[in-house]
Amino acid sequence: MKHLRRVNRKAARIERHLDEQRDVVALQRGGPPQGAPPRPHIPLGCSLLFSPGWEADSSGGAAGLCQPVERDLFDCHLGCFWPAQVPDQLNHSPDWTSKCAAAQKDWRKIDLIFP
Amino acid sequence: MRLLASLALALLPLLAQQSPPPANPEKDSDKKEAEDGFPVTSDLVKKSCGPCHPADEKGRLSRISFRRTTPEGWQQTIKRMVSLVGVKLDPEEARQTVRYLANHHGLAPEEAKPGMFEVERRMIDYKYPADNDTEQTCIKCHSFGRVLLQRRTRTEWELLLAMHRGYYPLIDFQAFRRTGPPQTEPGPDGRPPDNRHPMDKAIAHLSSAFPLRTAEWSSWSANVRPPKLEGRWMLSGHQTGKGPVYGEVEIHRNPSARDGDEFVTSIRYLYARTGQNVRRTGKAILYTGFQWRGRSMEAGAGQTAMREVMFLERNQREMSGRWFSGAYDETGIDVRLERAGKDAMILGLDRNALQTGARDREVSIYGANLPLKPQPSDVDFGPGVTLKRITQASENRITVLADVAADAKIGPRDLVIAGALKANAAVVFDKVDAIKVRPPSGMARNGGNRFPKMYQQFEAVGYSNGPDGKPDTKDDLELGMLDVAWSVEEYTATFGDDDKEFAGSLDAEGLFTPAGDGPNPSRSGNRNNVGDLWIVATYTTAGSNSKPLRARAHLLVTVPLYIRFEQPEVSQ
Repeated sequence: MKHLRRVNRKAARIERHLDEQRDVVALQRGGPPQGAPPRPHIPLGCSLLFSPGWEADSSGGAAGLCQPVERDLFDCHLGCFWPAQVPDQLNHSPDWTSKCAAAQKDWRKIDLIFP
Repeated sequence: MRLLASLALALLPLLAQQSPPPANPEKDSDKKEAEDGFPVTSDLVKKSCGPCHPADEKGRLSRISFRRTTPEGWQQTIKRMVSLVGVKLDPEEARQTVRYLANHHGLAPEEAKPGMFEVERRMIDYKYPADNDTEQTCIKCHSFGRVLLQRRTRTEWELLLAMHRGYYPLIDFQAFRRTGPPQTEPGPDGRPPDNRHPMDKAIAHLSSAFPLRTAEWSSWSANVRPPKLEGRWMLSGHQTGKGPVYGEVEIHRNPSARDGDEFVTSIRYLYARTGQNVRRTGKAILYTGFQWRGRSMEAGAGQTAMREVMFLERNQREMSGRWFSGAYDETGIDVRLERAGKDAMILGLDRNALQTGARDREVSIYGANLPLKPQPSDVDFGPGVTLKRITQASENRITVLADVAADAKIGPRDLVIAGALKANAAVVFDKVDAIKVRPPSGMARNGGNRFPKMYQQFEAVGYSNGPDGKPDTKDDLELGMLDVAWSVEEYTATFGDDDKEFAGSLDAEGLFTPAGDGPNPSRSGNRNNVGDLWIVATYTTAGSNSKPLRARAHLLVTVPLYIRFEQPEVSQ
């Protein structure tokens, strides 16, 4: 870093972060000075299908998830996108979101489904 | 737009003429089975399932006769028939149907063993070694354990995949069909590329790896009978964060049951590290002659209910599995039951690690039929460990004071008492060289407002480098659970990461309690209380100035599940 100087605020933030000697684990892909960190461990029970997954993002963490999850629930329900995580509108629970005009506000009105 | 629509309408008959529909379109359910299925002999199953699954001349019901699976697998199918197809079954009929199918169209022990983690609801790493394409096709939505516990004819595997495609049309794009253009170049081995869709590869693999008819099932189904499990069984186990568990289970036949495969249990055990005593009573059903599915609770306290899933060994003297509770089945004891005879039996120790140079170290030994008036010479821990005194002795427990020589050779020790031997019951070590947190990665789910919480318990285990003094070699000695200080650190995934403030809290015993579900207005972007954390254990050797030992595990605190496909009913 001797011959490089930061020119914007983001670079300043990175510099400050590294000065604090904090280890940055997720969303990193190795390289000096840290070397390749071991791949994060994704617990069984996580669905690994999509990027991001339901429980974990592609690096095994929560940083890359759709947030808040309630914002996404209608799409997951209508499109049957997460058949093992969210009730599907097509068969199991056609009325799952009927009491809930906007999941982000009315999320307390949706039920846990035992098909 | 309207013009286009009328043009399409006008063209319709023409199109129909060009490609007339087949006179008798073949429905999936009409597919002829090429293989020989198992006839159904139960009148109840014929009555409940027969209207949609007609019997052929050999008494085989369509689909049902061409598949075998666990009680959970059958329960799931019956639930789907009730919820999506409109079958009317009262709970008792459903129970009897599951029982008949699990017993007569079930799995052999050898077939069920590799998938026990699924029914025991364990969070383990599982890699299916036999076929990567099949594994990837299935685990995109659910655990491969579900697949391991199914046996089907080829037609049945085809129909199962067709059922998935029918109910969840999007999975064609998510997992079942190849995306992108077909490959034209030969592979690195010079062979032409395999351009089959993943689901076609999966069908080919599953039909040969998990066929309906197997030698294991022919032999087991000819031999199976309701086993005589009545009697006293000794229990040993381990609960993450609480340590070893010892006790006993009295099994009796359920007097109100018609068949010999229902049992009632009276259970008592204690946590050896804390002395906490537990008494429970339970009920269980034994499916297919080896699959124990039970439920027990403390007197009158429904909230203490635990499900029991165990595998009975062929010798009918041992059972092992997991007893569990929690909204996501996350709290559990790994258990092992051994039939108690008349001879002495050693189950284990309260703390198995004996440090060299220790004086008057108190050790509690748990077992069955232990001598009531033992002499110190009757209890043999092997070289380097001298018994000074026996402070307490009963049939189930002996407490002793022992000295460990300063120059005792480090390594595991067998324990011998009155003719009973427990291999590697204790371990002699010189110092704790490292600690590890178990599990190395955990998962918790936000809950408590609308959906339940999923907790995660951690424990710290000590290690000695062993005789070679080098870490991570084969001679390392595991020293059991240690008392450590627990803390949470930020697992930095983004700059300005704030998960630690929101995701939840860790108590002094290593139990992580996640924060509430729902969007959190005090978090940027209304995010949920999800996050990544390091769970850190710090161990300080008492009275030593050496640097504290540290170990950490990754914890993922994530969102709830909104649909649950578990089958707890099979234990009731």
